[in-house]
Amino acid sequence: MCLRNLLRRRFRTSLCIFGVCLATIFIVAIGATTTNYTTVIRDMNVFFGGDVVVVAEGAMVIQAFPVVGGNLPVSVVEKVQQVNGVKTAVPMLVQFGYQFEAVIQLAPTNVSVGIPPGNWSVLVGHTPLNPGGDWPSPDPGKKEVVIGSSLAKQYDLTVGSKVKTENTNLTVAGILDTRSALLSRSIILPLELAQHLYYGHTMWIGNMVVAQPEEGVTEKEVADRIEAEILGVEALTTHERNEIVEPLLHDIETWNNGISGVLYLLSMVLVITVAMMNVSERRRDFATLDAIGAPKGAIFRMVLTETMLIGLLGGLSGIVLGSIAAILIASIYTNIPLSMFFFDLFNIVSPLFMMKILASTVAVSCVAGVIPAIAASKMNIPEVLRSEY
Amino acid sequence: MIVKTRELTRTYRLGASVITAVNKVNLEIKEATFVSIVGPSGSGKTTLLNLIGLNDHPTSGKVFFKNEDTSLLTNKERRKIRLQSIGFVFQTFNLLPTLTALENVELPLALAKIPLKPQREKAIQLLEAVGLADRLQHRPKELSTGEMQRVAIARSLANNPCLILADEPTGELDSETGYEIIKLLLSLCRKHKTTVVVATHDERVAKASDVKYSIRDGMITQDSG
Repeated sequence: MCLRNLLRRRFRTSLCIFGVCLATIFIVAIGATTTNYTTVIRDMNVFFGGDVVVVAEGAMVIQAFPVVGGNLPVSVVEKVQQVNGVKTAVPMLVQFGYQFEAVIQLAPTNVSVGIPPGNWSVLVGHTPLNPGGDWPSPDPGKKEVVIGSSLAKQYDLTVGSKVKTENTNLTVAGILDTRSALLSRSIILPLELAQHLYYGHTMWIGNMVVAQPEEGVTEKEVADRIEAEILGVEALTTHERNEIVEPLLHDIETWNNGISGVLYLLSMVLVITVAMMNVSERRRDFATLDAIGAPKGAIFRMVLTETMLIGLLGGLSGIVLGSIAAILIASIYTNIPLSMFFFDLFNIVSPLFMMKILASTVAVSCVAGVIPAIAASKMNIPEVLRSEY
Repeated sequence: MIVKTRELTRTYRLGASVITAVNKVNLEIKEATFVSIVGPSGSGKTTLLNLIGLNDHPTSGKVFFKNEDTSLLTNKERRKIRLQSIGFVFQTFNLLPTLTALENVELPLALAKIPLKPQREKAIQLLEAVGLADRLQHRPKELSTGEMQRVAIARSLANNPCLILADEPTGELDSETGYEIIKLLLSLCRKHKTTVVVATHDERVAKASDVKYSIRDGMITQDSG
């Protein structure tokens, strides 16, 4: 009956559902995109946990990785190694890539990391290689690399495949078996090869040094000593790296929540307006129901069910379209084909997130239905019936 | 006595002035009678029916339903009486437009929480009784005005009420169809011993009634004969 009541004003109901759907699309698309973005950023600080990251002064660091500027001279590695309390100092050349296999994109979609051979675990931890693969040869002349699983899947690469980056043909020696957002899009190669590829020489060691403290020495102590003893560098502890990015992530989440709140509010206003129009037009119907003895609760529930249906239909269609929008954004942003995301839909927009959005949309519609439902159930029968004649 | 009123008064405030729609009405309606309340538009017929039907509260005076003082009843109890003991027939039928004829008749049964199967059987039986066996699945807009009023009458009978209040039931109908409706209401009164109170300005209805009241400016008088 409620559905039929809604269908009686098809155009108006469709517009209202469309409005709720549109708001939900934005909530899902923006929510999923920001959630993924913040998750990836937070995921980045999983790397080098407990170690000190040394970068050039003024370098822009996002979590554990310098993204802009700050090359370090070769001498820095030795200086860091000599600081009291430093167990090992591993230099790295991190380069966020905008081009892979001759495809150029606007945003970085892969990250090349040059590491001295044998120190791979400093970056990848215990992440294994797919069967049949091996770590790159220390000989830079062999031009071997290990690539992340997502890159391998996207470009259909296997062990032995050739990839072209920075106008150089590289051979895939192994594929990382990982779901980490950063590692799955990484190209790991010997540091010297990376230096040749990105600098053309080996005067710069790269843009970061990972310093592991000795047992009994804290990150903070090591970081303080490095900064005191070596000029022109910054030494960041895990906590400091988090502190750099957390306010930004917090701002992003606040904006996301704010935008979602405004969109929910708009949905609510839309549902209230349409439901009030419906109630106002059906005054006679409600008065009739009242006159024949319908309990107030039954009339209240009828209106509430109608607004809930609007929320449910708008929410469901919004989630479907919003999820498509989210993977479309992710595809455009990363230049990863849309088809790859379809299989990974629930990673981009998690079922829990979908359920939350649906529950929120339905709840908002129900709340929006309360005022019209009260108006319908508190109708003055004699006044409405008298006004007919 | 199914309905009795004592000094029943209902006033409305219209801006600064007070309008007395029903003025100290004393009325006694016996069981199984066909009563007409005749009066011109604005004389207070609808207000009186709303008061008798427990849809409205009097400004002063009392309505007794089956000798029970209704002023002492809660709104919930008044609703229960409306649902189970009173049937309403409106001038403009007041059928729910999204429901079929069958569903409209089922509505009071559903509200009274009658199980689905007997609900349906009763509704079909009522629609057959008013001659609409072939219109069960038609929506109000697919029915003629006469058919709509028949559905409304069937709906009013759904919970076997002891009292039917009909407000200008022939007002929207042509003369012939109006006559059919009157015959139907009269037969209900005679066959089922249901009390029928009709507010009207149709003289044919008044002539057919057992008791005729006239109402003018909210004041009622019983006509002899």
